[in-house]
Amino acid sequence: MNKQLGFYVDAKRCIGCFTCAMACKNQYHQEPGVVWRQVYPLKQDIYPHAERAFYSLACNHCEHPTCLEVCPVDAYTKRDKDGVVVHHQDLCIGCGNCIRSCPFGAPRYNPVLKRAEKCSLCWQRLDAGLDPACVKSCPTSALMLIDLATFDTPDAVQFPPGFPRAPALNPSTRFRQAELPRTVMREDVR
Amino acid sequence: MIQSMELPLVVFTVLSQLAIGLALMDVLRTTGIWSVSPPALRRQWLVASAVMALGLLVSLTHLGNPLGAPRAITHLSTAWLSREVLLFGLLVILMGATALKGASRPLVWMSASVGLAGLVVQGMVYSPPAFPALNNAVPFALFLITAATLGAAAATWFAPAEGQPVLKTTLVSALCAGLILVLVVPCVWASGGTVMRETAAAYAASPLYWLYAVLGLALPLAVVLRLRRIPSWVPLVILAGAICGRIVFYLDTVHTASNLGGLY
Repeated sequence: MNKQLGFYVDAKRCIGCFTCAMACKNQYHQEPGVVWRQVYPLKQDIYPHAERAFYSLACNHCEHPTCLEVCPVDAYTKRDKDGVVVHHQDLCIGCGNCIRSCPFGAPRYNPVLKRAEKCSLCWQRLDAGLDPACVKSCPTSALMLIDLATFDTPDAVQFPPGFPRAPALNPSTRFRQAELPRTVMREDVR
Repeated sequence: MIQSMELPLVVFTVLSQLAIGLALMDVLRTTGIWSVSPPALRRQWLVASAVMALGLLVSLTHLGNPLGAPRAITHLSTAWLSREVLLFGLLVILMGATALKGASRPLVWMSASVGLAGLVVQGMVYSPPAFPALNNAVPFALFLITAATLGAAAATWFAPAEGQPVLKTTLVSALCAGLILVLVVPCVWASGGTVMRETAAAYAASPLYWLYAVLGLALPLAVVLRLRRIPSWVPLVILAGAICGRIVFYLDTVHTASNLGGLY
């Protein structure tokens, strides 16, 4: 398998602090309302507990990216060396087709530049040997950078509840699912 | 932008389908059912090409950077949108040539064929995986119904008396098929996953959706069934209904990303 970088989202560790989203914002200074990374609380149907669990999501740098396939001006490329899907904003004409087509809502519309944009997996930082800003900032190591060619964690899943199932795209993000807290009764510890 | 009214695209898709519908109806004429005087025929094709060109022009206003529009045909290998732009651009030229050359049979058939291919391609553009309710043949079916209803209705403005019964039969068939489709499809969505169910609920709660069903389909059907020929105002009512329906299509079809963190 070729090198394919992706995010590992550990929902068991994530505390929903939004530091990853803020780190992304600090790194790229997107326009107000434009977010490349967002932290989504799991709904009660999936995680029925007063404590919340979260998925920190951005672009999934899919093996077969819909954004790349539907873009009429070829503004997306997938890097051979690490599988990162890069959007070339200077080529974008702002048709919004990638925004409508991505089932994960990764590309966003920049209302000032009138073009799409999305998470770049900090490829400039990667090329400099650094971790992406979001990964570096996570205080609980709930967000990690993985290479799917070598990643081998038995409890990792690709399509957990709360994440759209799009196997044809083969998104590179992997998850560890949140677990409900165990209630320890007095009789359990006797 | 994930779910918005997209008025330029509403106008573009409806007008392009009207133009394609006119081209498809003229194929019926070429089978010898009726004949049209050369000036009326030229008028019909000039109107079709003007409507198509107007639709394409309006679609440019939807782009963030319209000056880059010519580059939209650079990704023909995988992008249905590139194929749509190419086909519809070709269609304007073909329709214009058909009007200038007196609607010769080969040009009429070629325009209609490219138009039909254009509808298929347009259907593919609007069936991405992000919209489970539309990630199938529904967009193409809706577009075909719009083309057939608008085309058959608008063709009556140009056709002589002997062509009216065929156009009336075509319109009645298309309106019946459209009414069934528009009422049944949300019921099918209602039995699907969360996002499809949300789409069905959004459509059912939309006054514009019911306006489309009534104004664009049921009312014209009732009127046309009662009269011997299609009244000249019916195409305008169908057009208004089609615009309402298309707004719902863009505005109320639920995107998967709107439910991140929830059940699918």
